[in-house]
Amino acid sequence: MREVLQVRFGEIFLKGLNRPTFLKMLVSRVRDAVKETGGRVWLSDSRVYVSDMTDMDEAIRRVTKVFGVHSVCRAIEMEKGDFTALCDQAVELMRGHKGSFKVSARRSDKRYFMDSPAINMEMGGYILERLPDLRVDVKNPDVVLSVEIRDMAYLYTHPIMAVGGMPVGSNGKATLLLSGGIDSPVAGWMIAKRGVTVNAVHFNSPPYTSERARQKVLDLAKILSESLCGIRVHVVPFTDIQMQIHEKCHEDYTTVIMRRYMMRIANEIARREHSQALITGESIGQVASQTMHALSCTDAVADMPVFRPLIGFDKSEIIEIAQKIGTYETSNLPYEDCCTVFTPRHPATKPKMDIILEGESKLDTEALIAAAIEGSEVIQL
Amino acid sequence: MQVYLDNSATTRPIPETVEAMNACMLDAFYNPSALYAPAMQAERALADARRVIAASLQANEKNVIFTSGGTESDNLAIFGLLAMQREKGDVLYTAAEHAAVKNACLEAEKRLGMTAREIPLLPNGSVDLSALREMLSENTRLICVMQVCNETGVIMPISDICALRDELAEKAAIHVDGVQGYLRVPFSFKQLKVQSYALSAHKFHGPKGVGALVIRDGVRIQPQMAGGGQQNDLRSGTENTYAIAGMRAAVEHYPADAMQHMLKLKQLLLNQLAEALPETTVLGLPADDAHSAGHILNVAFPPVRAETLLHALEADGVLVGTGSACSSKKGKHSSVLKAMGQKPNVMEAAIRISLCPFNTEEEMRFTAEKIIEKVTMLRKFVRR
Repeated sequence: MREVLQVRFGEIFLKGLNRPTFLKMLVSRVRDAVKETGGRVWLSDSRVYVSDMTDMDEAIRRVTKVFGVHSVCRAIEMEKGDFTALCDQAVELMRGHKGSFKVSARRSDKRYFMDSPAINMEMGGYILERLPDLRVDVKNPDVVLSVEIRDMAYLYTHPIMAVGGMPVGSNGKATLLLSGGIDSPVAGWMIAKRGVTVNAVHFNSPPYTSERARQKVLDLAKILSESLCGIRVHVVPFTDIQMQIHEKCHEDYTTVIMRRYMMRIANEIARREHSQALITGESIGQVASQTMHALSCTDAVADMPVFRPLIGFDKSEIIEIAQKIGTYETSNLPYEDCCTVFTPRHPATKPKMDIILEGESKLDTEALIAAAIEGSEVIQL
Repeated sequence: MQVYLDNSATTRPIPETVEAMNACMLDAFYNPSALYAPAMQAERALADARRVIAASLQANEKNVIFTSGGTESDNLAIFGLLAMQREKGDVLYTAAEHAAVKNACLEAEKRLGMTAREIPLLPNGSVDLSALREMLSENTRLICVMQVCNETGVIMPISDICALRDELAEKAAIHVDGVQGYLRVPFSFKQLKVQSYALSAHKFHGPKGVGALVIRDGVRIQPQMAGGGQQNDLRSGTENTYAIAGMRAAVEHYPADAMQHMLKLKQLLLNQLAEALPETTVLGLPADDAHSAGHILNVAFPPVRAETLLHALEADGVLVGTGSACSSKKGKHSSVLKAMGQKPNVMEAAIRISLCPFNTEEEMRFTAEKIIEKVTMLRKFVRR
């Protein structure tokens, strides 16, 4: 008899012929997640199991963050032959609970000598006799005691909800524009949750931004990397481009033009990374560069889809997710990021394409982008 | 070349400090309170440090209390002195005080029912003595004043404050926060009738985590920690002998001509800056004023923002500060500069250059050259 972690997956069930591939991926992601707790991971009967870990709580914390996992249970695994022993264990699990309960059996091993309704009745009765404070309620119980009869028997009470989604790597690759703010880490997390492998581009403007601001972004990437199964961050020097824009372009247009240069550089890095899309944390109307007009101006320079998972979210909703995924506190540190360095007093909220193009014509776009990418630093987390 | 000019934030320990600490750790690690003979080495390390620090302030060595640094010394003085006052009343602190003093005074309102009141500053950063005159009364229990302002380098008029106290509030104690002044500006318990003086070792090339509170003969303070009763019951806890030995070495080896040397360097730097950048704005007293300390220069080049200039200089190896390091990460305007009535654009541009006796003329020339270069470049790229 031992305690194991039973891992259930969600949406993968809906897959047809691809299901084995997805499952294999999920097992491998779970294996990566528990590596440091020393767990053994295996697939059996459409369930993933983890056993022999050094720290059960830490393993649960890690596995519930793996995209593709629906929920996990701490389950008692034991020989199924001795039904009385199973019942005794069930009593132990139920001890300390109050109110109503029911036993819910699943018999995958159809050769087992009792069927599921019989297990429910026998075990329920056995528990009631020994724990008279409990009562049975099959419609709306406070606690469900689950019994699964497979190669072994598994008993558990409370499933712990996990993050859901699809295993990372099952759905292509995208490049995230990662600032030090609240939104972009959330956007990256949401797309990765759908199984997408994510890498990131960060724009750095020394001396206007500090070493601490850069470290903050790497800290954010590090937090994300746990769910994203690692992340590669390209840190791109952006000061020269900002200075030239500031010097040569119409003041009200500096923000939108700066965003277009960021998009161009991210697009090029994405192409080299074999990404199929870009991801940004923009949401309609949040700031001047995120009005409908401005977004269409930035989109115009990308030649791949730009995913904006937060497009319809309010700031408070974004903050809620940031808190849930653990990036909020770091995002909230007060270091200036490159976007705010030269913010004009009245940025154009309805920028006109001809003025943008006129401004950009004064810059040697190709050379600036090439130099920025050339000077960038790649950090694998 | 790296030029470290943030010595008011902390200093580099000198080799003598490191050696003294090493020796004390390796050979005199004993508990100074233990009874066997080897422990006397540790006890002697404490006694030596007491003697050296007391001599530097013309105080009595039995009145030197070792602490964990400036903040603890200030807290011990403020709460310790106030606890001995029989009646509630006013606690005054200057608007230039460090958070360790200001917040302790505000806390004394809650804990001891005192009334904390802030003494305003003049635009040049010194204490407004005529305002202080109005605030003093027989209700005044404590006046807190720093010896040297950590942000502007202004030497506070402590003898004038003592005279006003004697005239208008004879019951009031005076606590001097000497963290930025100790050894860099002379101080004597014989000349100034103050009740207590706080110092911190890492500001004068000693180790972090150690300092002292020195009190006047006959002054009683209440201990603020319950424990084993070390240091005449005034500060419980086994003394940090290693750090105390390091602090003693730092005091003994502090160069005697430090003040003149640093003042000369500061003037050299300032002259070069003012010549090339006519809009150079000095915050605080002019460098040639007798009340301007030689080791701190607060200077602004608006509209270039301090943080940007700091990072630009950092890229070339020159490390300076913005305001007080303790508050520079909070992203607020310096409360000291605000109390001096400075405009927001000047406050946002203010950098603090703080020297140590080991800086050189060559470093000053290099620094001036870099500041001139960076300010000239950055001025072209400011928010319009």
